[in-house]
Amino acid sequence: MALWQEVIVSIMLVIAGVFGLVGSIGLVKLPEPMMRLHAPTKATTLGVGGALLASMFNALFVLGRFSFHELLISIFLFLTAPITAHFIAKAHLHRHRADYLLPATGTGMPWAEAAPPDGSSAAQTEPVTEPTSTSARR
Amino acid sequence: MPLILIAALPFLGALLPGVMIKAGRNACAWTTASVTLAALVGLLVHAPKVLAGEVIHYRLDWMPVVGLNANFFLDGLGFLFALMILGIGLLIIIYARFYLGRQDPMGPFYTYLLLFQGAMVGIVLSDNVLLLLVFWELTSLSSFLLIGYWKHLPEGRQGARMALAVTGTGGLALIGGMIILGQIAGSYDLSVILTQKEAIQASPLYLPALILILIGAFTKSAQFPFHFWLPHAMAAPTPVSAYLHSATMVKAGLFLMARLWPVLAGTDAWFVIVATTGLVTMVLGATIALFKDDLKALLAFSTVSHLGLITMLLGFGTPFAAVAAVFHIINHATFKAALFMTAGIVDHEAHTRDIKRLGGLRHLMPITFVIALLASLSMAGIPFLNGFLSKEMMLEEVARTRLGIPLLLPLVVIVAAALSAAYSFRYLGHVFFGDEREDYPQTPHDPGFGLWGPPAFLVALVVLIGLFPAAIAGPLVAASAGAVTGGDLPYYSLKIWHGFTPALLMSVLAVMGGLMLLLFHYPLDKRWIATRRPEAKVIFDTVVALCVQVSRRITDVLHPGSMTRYTAIFAITVLIASAVAWNSSTLAAPGRELLPVGMVGVIGWILIVVSTGILVVYHRNRLLSLILLGVTGTIVSISFIYFSAPDLAMTQIAVEVVSIILLLLALNFLPKSTPAEGGVERHLRDVIIAGAMGIGAMILTLAIQQSDFSQPTISAYYLENAKTLAGGYNVVNVILVDFRGFDTYGEIIVLGIAALVIYALTEQLLGGRVGRKLADRPHDPTLSGDLHPMMMVVATRVMMPLALMVGVFIFLRGHNAPGGGFVAGLVVAIAILMQFMASGYDWAIARQRFTYHGIIGLGVIAAILTGVASWLFGAPFLTGAFAYYKLPLIEEFELSSAMAFDLGVFLCVVGAVMLALESLSRLARRKDDRTRTHPMDIDPSRTEDEPRPVPPGTAPAEAH
Repeated sequence: MALWQEVIVSIMLVIAGVFGLVGSIGLVKLPEPMMRLHAPTKATTLGVGGALLASMFNALFVLGRFSFHELLISIFLFLTAPITAHFIAKAHLHRHRADYLLPATGTGMPWAEAAPPDGSSAAQTEPVTEPTSTSARR
Repeated sequence: MPLILIAALPFLGALLPGVMIKAGRNACAWTTASVTLAALVGLLVHAPKVLAGEVIHYRLDWMPVVGLNANFFLDGLGFLFALMILGIGLLIIIYARFYLGRQDPMGPFYTYLLLFQGAMVGIVLSDNVLLLLVFWELTSLSSFLLIGYWKHLPEGRQGARMALAVTGTGGLALIGGMIILGQIAGSYDLSVILTQKEAIQASPLYLPALILILIGAFTKSAQFPFHFWLPHAMAAPTPVSAYLHSATMVKAGLFLMARLWPVLAGTDAWFVIVATTGLVTMVLGATIALFKDDLKALLAFSTVSHLGLITMLLGFGTPFAAVAAVFHIINHATFKAALFMTAGIVDHEAHTRDIKRLGGLRHLMPITFVIALLASLSMAGIPFLNGFLSKEMMLEEVARTRLGIPLLLPLVVIVAAALSAAYSFRYLGHVFFGDEREDYPQTPHDPGFGLWGPPAFLVALVVLIGLFPAAIAGPLVAASAGAVTGGDLPYYSLKIWHGFTPALLMSVLAVMGGLMLLLFHYPLDKRWIATRRPEAKVIFDTVVALCVQVSRRITDVLHPGSMTRYTAIFAITVLIASAVAWNSSTLAAPGRELLPVGMVGVIGWILIVVSTGILVVYHRNRLLSLILLGVTGTIVSISFIYFSAPDLAMTQIAVEVVSIILLLLALNFLPKSTPAEGGVERHLRDVIIAGAMGIGAMILTLAIQQSDFSQPTISAYYLENAKTLAGGYNVVNVILVDFRGFDTYGEIIVLGIAALVIYALTEQLLGGRVGRKLADRPHDPTLSGDLHPMMMVVATRVMMPLALMVGVFIFLRGHNAPGGGFVAGLVVAIAILMQFMASGYDWAIARQRFTYHGIIGLGVIAAILTGVASWLFGAPFLTGAFAYYKLPLIEEFELSSAMAFDLGVFLCVVGAVMLALESLSRLARRKDDRTRTHPMDIDPSRTEDEPRPVPPGTAPAEAH
């Protein structure tokens, strides 16, 4: 592998490492769950993406052919990372919601995170036990 | 017809009744009869040769290494028994067609009957004692099914269980005896064993072998003290009683004694045990029979008595007694089967078998009366009928034999014969003679030909043998007795008049005594009823209850259902075993250096240690424990990659995913945290056990890693030959699907069974109290209204084809690169599982076209077919083959039989995983859950007038 090729691969790896590190620091340091949510999702997409690009370039330079496996991995990642983030956010909202802070949906239906209208109306009238600060962020 | 086919025909034919019953009951019966007829004809073809004294062999190596071969031979004795089994079987099949009522399922009946028939024919034709044992056990099992045929009757079920328990126990003893015998003789082939008389009788193991074999024979032939199961087996339909309990199964014990007579008989032990047991059984059975009011019970005990008689004759050990025994076997089979059938007719027509409620039937049922008359007079030993002839021979032999004090044996036998005559006369006198009664449950009349034809045929034999014994039974008796004694026959003559002999005197005395006993039956019966007798069933039930209690005690200690207890028992056992092994063997000096520890290794190690440590501290929080387990699993997977085992890593990751989902489902039904248990001592104890286990594992691992193997490993062979012999570069996969394919074959079957068991357990759980409780669970009011968010639903649908493609890719490359059917199965299962999680159980199951049971079955069938296909090429089961092909447009590719086998593995894994997960998720269903037809809870594209289809509860495949 020529030097410029090694440089390209290395840059990709460094980018991947930096984003991985930033994501991890963010996960630890950011003060609130909804903020923390952003750190790892960005890190998975960009951080792992960099590593995958490095791998592709490596295959191109060393083996002399395109490697498509990495594309598949990134497709999977692009599909799954938002879903994971969505679910974490949903779980957070669900556990720490403050119904009285929310405006009406205007559809006659409650908010998605609320309990369904039939079967458990108790949830609607139940006093909110944990009105944490984050719920206002919606 | 080859002998193996005669034995196999009934088994093959057993598949037919279930199919043919769809065409009607007649078609079913005729099909069954034609199977038996074909086997019978196949047997009779050999008759001329066998009767001329020839022995026909058929040999087929099955498992020659363990000495189990499908060897058959047909000599006179086997011919006699096979003739009885198939001949009387044919009559019984016809009789049963008309005996069974509309409400009795006929298909299963004939299937069981043919299974039994095949097993019996197998016993009498086997030339290999191990094969004989297989058939022996099969008769126990099939007779269990037949006795318990009327499942709705408690007597039927109890009788069947008792018969199985007694004959099954005997079968176990027999296995021991036969193996000892085979070890002494140096071969498990009967024809070899039969030539080793001196060696066997001189062996110190002769007595144990004899006792074990006799236990087997006595339990099967209902000899004292195992006689009690036979009367209880009478709960079976009468055709079964007539077949199993007069002509065939109970004679299997006699057959065995006759078969091994040449090598076992002739010693004092044989004489004392067998003759005494026979004598006691004969007297006891006859006595009880006289006082039984149930027609079938009377016949059952009379059968016990006659079996005792034959046993006694075999026990005498003289050739003449053997001839008499064989002759009586023939005679007893004819008249007793006929008598059972007449009892069945009476029961069928009068709707009662109680002798005290019957009488005067001779006018109402003249045909039945004639049949019963001839058969029971034959049983009583009246001249011109066959029973007389063999009884005469028996008495002649008894007059010559001495057992203990002189004259004791003849006297006891005369008493037994008198009792036997008495119950025969009672059967006639109290059922057919006397005045007609008004109070029959139903006024009886003669049945159609179908019911009286078979017994009439047997009675014709009774009379014909009685009149012309030498002409009709002579050759058969000579051939079979010759086979028993192993050559020379003593002088005997089958004729009615022998002159005034002691035997004749004894015979006359017995008949007179029988008449006297019948005259005084009424007062005797009163006395009998008044006396307290040990009731066999009560004793048996007590013994069984005691066994159950003892085993429950042991089980309660070892298997209380507590996981911690199991783990502790397992750990301690392993520790003790390995301590013993460690101390009793030497360890080679460490011959290998440990590898230097790299950075990755250290990080992985720290992660595992830390996660395990946290797990110990926070193990009461179940969700956290699960997450920590996931960490450990991931590190393990990574370590596989680190050590260049990509196959294992892939499998491990897939297994981790599936098992975490499974555990999440299970956590749904468990409390959020484990309660704190035990005090300090208990924790200390557990810490010691766990610590010892961990340290032990560490020492062992270190020892293995540092020392060389004591023998060259097989790995080199696999590495060398994977490509050349099996056509695959991926050695792991080649080992799984080719080199050790038979292991895998067994494993996928086990996997399938495990999944089915989970399904069955869930079914049972949901059907019971727990199921109702689960279904009545209140809804969790804090559940989200949007359980199946649109993003997730859409994403999983996009993922589905991708994931399936990955599965196919992993499957196809498996033979040459990391992958294979197992991993592919897991990947596909996860792909399907995602749909369940994202779109809900109802929506996903509605789109599931194939049942998981079917997929498992298909997988096993694919594996079997792959294995069997190699037979077509004359190769052993599961022999692999591969070839390279070329198609336009794509590269040269390889097709191998291993791929078809791997497909079986794949299907089994998919089916098993999904069935297990589906079963678990069904637990989560609540009673008032509505079926969801929409995958998403909130779908903007849905029109407003549609009701929002959110169920009150969560959908079951949910894994929160």
